[in-house]
Amino acid sequence: MTSLSAVCCWIPLFALRCEEERRPGSSAHPWALVAPEDARHVWQVSALARAAGVKAGLTVSQAVGLCPTITLCEPDPVYYDAQFAKLLAALNAVSPVIEPAELGRVYVGMDGLEQLHGSPEEQIEMVQCVVRGAWALTASTENPVRTAGNHAPRTTHRLGWGKGKFVSWVAATRARPGSAVIVPPGEEGRFLASQPLAVLSLDPDTYRRLRQLGLRTLGDLTALPQEAVVSQFGRAGRRMWRLAAGALTESIEGRASPEPIVVALTFFTPVADLRMLVQTLEQLIERALKHPRRSGWRVRLVRARAELEHGASWVLEALLKEPSADRQRIIAPLKTRLEQAPPTKAVERLTVEFAAFAPGTTALQLFARDAGAAARAGRRRALRNATREIALRLRRPMLYRVVPVQPWSRIPERRYALVDYEL
Amino acid sequence: MRSGTDKLRTLNVPQRVQVELENGRPKAVRKLTAADRPTARPPDRRFIESVLECWRIDDEWWRQPISRQCYEVVLETGGRVVLFEDLVTGEWWMQQP
Repeated sequence: MTSLSAVCCWIPLFALRCEEERRPGSSAHPWALVAPEDARHVWQVSALARAAGVKAGLTVSQAVGLCPTITLCEPDPVYYDAQFAKLLAALNAVSPVIEPAELGRVYVGMDGLEQLHGSPEEQIEMVQCVVRGAWALTASTENPVRTAGNHAPRTTHRLGWGKGKFVSWVAATRARPGSAVIVPPGEEGRFLASQPLAVLSLDPDTYRRLRQLGLRTLGDLTALPQEAVVSQFGRAGRRMWRLAAGALTESIEGRASPEPIVVALTFFTPVADLRMLVQTLEQLIERALKHPRRSGWRVRLVRARAELEHGASWVLEALLKEPSADRQRIIAPLKTRLEQAPPTKAVERLTVEFAAFAPGTTALQLFARDAGAAARAGRRRALRNATREIALRLRRPMLYRVVPVQPWSRIPERRYALVDYEL
Repeated sequence: MRSGTDKLRTLNVPQRVQVELENGRPKAVRKLTAADRPTARPPDRRFIESVLECWRIDDEWWRQPISRQCYEVVLETGGRVVLFEDLVTGEWWMQQP
């Protein structure tokens, strides 16, 4: 599923906003989050701390030197992922094409939804309602006291409507908090021309070189011939030029939710013992979790069905409050209900179905230290096994690692090389 | 400690080709065999659909000079490759962009 027209929803400093919501009153004093990967550096900084001169990327000691009253907090990436997942789930009600770009930034595909939601202005209005609703929901779940106090809904999000990811993203960066900027089709070039180069998310070296060439805006860049930019910056230059000119439109790639996963077991003789049924449920859930289609997804809705003696049937359903890929968490609500309302007759066949999913670790927990480490360890283990098998079959590893030799070289064959892969 | 077989293998090594020109720009390309022997089989000649970019590389003039006129082209089959003329030897080469 892809879409060219898009709404970009951007919540700057998403982690900081989540913490402010979780810790009422925190915005009354200067505070900052330390980086998830390196606790020696400051990651996101509150407005009061920024006013005192503290910036993201400073060391903790520099931050304390600049602002002695600053409070430094440990980040909670899993919590931020969960909050972001809630926002994505809410946006899914507007469009099936959702592409999260990073924590706090998501693209919503709008192609073909004109009949449903109306003009771009109406589409924006719809997204506004959903985002405000999702934030309010988050606030009421996490912090009921504050919601009861009738505080105004958070308006830290910015929306941008445009053709392709880049235009909608730049539009969102131009919007005021809680509002939107719409770039009508055909106006992309004119809109982009006045935007600063910083919207291109360039590496510092390229940015410095462009500034040294006297370029300030995207219009300055596109005033140069494309070939000249390509000869200076290579492939990245061509992409940069085409993005700036509005000639490159990247579509939003939606992620299809997997089909339900069903696993079943037929008993040799009908079973009525509850403990045995629970054990079987655990085994079936384990099998369903190992299904390749489940990879990258957490289970939201699970059903257990049983065919009973003499043709009767029995069903249980559990909607998990927190989608999970953990066997114990999935089985817990099923077990409780099984004890409350056991099958009336002995069970001949038991089926477990994962019926609905939420995006899982690979898509969302990019910022969770543990999830990332676990994924890396899993990949290494799989690679080690594959290497061993190849070496056994072919008597040579035949597996190589790409290593940069002179990545900056203008001679392509000198940039990278292969070396034997060893674990 | 690395094994004895461990060595660097170059990536994206240019492949020798023969290029037909039209108005100084590549029109068709043909791969050459190691010895470029004429065979009964017709040469694997591919027309160039369009030239995306051209640029020149001049480097290492202080030792073994490298001088290349490069063209990034789209072949009729849809593939995208870089063709370059070695301006020192006059030979044409092809490699991945």
